[in-house]
Amino acid sequence: MRLSIREFATFDWRRFRQTRLPLIGVGVILVFVLLAAFAPYIVTDPTQIEMRREQSGETINPPFPPSPRNLFGTDQLGRDIFARVVFGLRTSLIVGILVRGLSMIAGTMLGLISGYFPKAVDDVIMRITDIMLAFPVILLAMTVTAVLGPGLVTVCVALALVAWPDVARLVRGQVLAVREQTYVEAARSVGAGNWRILLRHVLPNCMGPIIVAFSMGIPGAIMYEAGLSFFGFGIQPPTPSLGSIISDGRGYITVAPWYPGFPGLVLTLLVLSVNLVGDGLIDVMNPRAARGTRRGDSAA
Amino acid sequence: MLGYTARRLLQFIPILIGLVTVLFALLNILPGDPARMMAGPFANPDVVETIREEMGFNRPLWVQYLDNLWNLARGEFGRSYQSRRPILKDLLEVFPKTVQLAVAAELTSAFIGIWLGVIAATRRNGWADRLIMTIAALNLSFPLFWLALMLQIVFAVFLRLLPPSGYGSGFDQFVILPAFTLALPSLGLLARITRAALIEVIEEDYIRTARAKGLRNALVMRRHILPNALIPIVTTVGTDFVRLLGGIPIIEVIFAWPGIGKYAYDALVFRDLPALQASVIVLAVAVSLVNLAVDLLYAFINPRIRYV
Repeated sequence: MRLSIREFATFDWRRFRQTRLPLIGVGVILVFVLLAAFAPYIVTDPTQIEMRREQSGETINPPFPPSPRNLFGTDQLGRDIFARVVFGLRTSLIVGILVRGLSMIAGTMLGLISGYFPKAVDDVIMRITDIMLAFPVILLAMTVTAVLGPGLVTVCVALALVAWPDVARLVRGQVLAVREQTYVEAARSVGAGNWRILLRHVLPNCMGPIIVAFSMGIPGAIMYEAGLSFFGFGIQPPTPSLGSIISDGRGYITVAPWYPGFPGLVLTLLVLSVNLVGDGLIDVMNPRAARGTRRGDSAA
Repeated sequence: MLGYTARRLLQFIPILIGLVTVLFALLNILPGDPARMMAGPFANPDVVETIREEMGFNRPLWVQYLDNLWNLARGEFGRSYQSRRPILKDLLEVFPKTVQLAVAAELTSAFIGIWLGVIAATRRNGWADRLIMTIAALNLSFPLFWLALMLQIVFAVFLRLLPPSGYGSGFDQFVILPAFTLALPSLGLLARITRAALIEVIEEDYIRTARAKGLRNALVMRRHILPNALIPIVTTVGTDFVRLLGGIPIIEVIFAWPGIGKYAYDALVFRDLPALQASVIVLAVAVSLVNLAVDLLYAFINPRIRYV
């Protein structure tokens, strides 16, 4: 992996530190990651219910409005929404990274093979990506979770299944350019095998776009998970998910706007921050690349 | 050009066969019994057995698969398990409504997005430009379903300006909220692309010439700047339209818009497999056709591009 160091050399930390918005994004993500990681030590028990409360001499029933005790208010069972959101963040982050990891591994492998090996192999893989890309994403993901039964693992599988073809195409495009380089020819001329060339010479030189694609795909995965959970096809209770909290809060929207409101704001902030970091990565790694040409995000 | 179009259309056929195959595999080979799925989790075994007989699930898988393909090839979508009507009839009813919503949403997004871009480009580095570009940089990455919910609560529940959901006659007050929700996430991107394209043209010599000969600003914009900056803008509108179609099922379900996305969703919820298959196919074909149209339009406005 020596060559990957050269790729990273173009990653200019000084440039990255000068950008403002991506740094804010990094800050927000850090806070969210810390909250999620230490959730049990920070917030109260998200399953604790409370059915009545004394307030200025009166007894009131949940959902209770936001207060110092419940920053985001409570739900209809008196459970602290802030605590549930923090645990939901945990799910979102796990799903985002897991889905993106899975789809990047599958997509990168197939893209490498497709771009490097003879046309017949390339054709087969590209036709499969054509088919997968023709599916309406959210319906395909819902169908997969409906068939496999909803849950964290199935959601990740379903979302990775819809996300890999984009990655495969991107990596294939990179490979097509890289494999014509002199150093590949040189490696072949000294007797390196196909796989050695692919993994030691081609892959490291495709790492820049792969890293960008990894970060750019996370917001989509997070939003699709929330969307699936919102419609009941995703994470199932008792595992908290931002999507299912918003879905539960839908019925209380007029009496307790904070109930679906705050989880959605946190979700938006998370997605926004990851997007900003991705934008920053593009600017830093490839300053000439046109900004705002990404696709596939915000569909959920 | 014609040959290219024909070839692209022919490519649909293997893609569609693949689509049906993947869907069939999903619904059959993976764990889960289609008859049980249709009957629901608490059905009694006799009911499951009856459904199995009725739908032909007891035949060998390859027979079912070929039978399914053959039916689809003849344009025979079958009968909806839920509405008990021919699926084709249902689809002909719901599809135009989806087209209405998609067109309304894309028009909204194109008009507002391009307008914002023009404002930003013509007042470069002014406060309007800074504001628009900051918002564009944030990219309004709202989760669609939450955005829909919030717009519903603001405009329908509190302000009582618009109906929260439902369908009127197509282009009436019912379409405003869903179309705007779909359009909002792409405004930033469109404004950004428009601004960049315009600025590139504004710096050309012929624009200075046009100004020098005394043309009014609005006329320069309309005659000289916009047409020359059109290519990236139209391309973005095209790809944006494809993205927008992806969000259609979610929006239709939340706003109770009786289009094909909601139809597919209901089919999935009620385990109406033939209806689900048919609507997925129609949606996929629609997206592919839009993609093709965008590519052709691209060649049309940029004569330097020729597809062979």
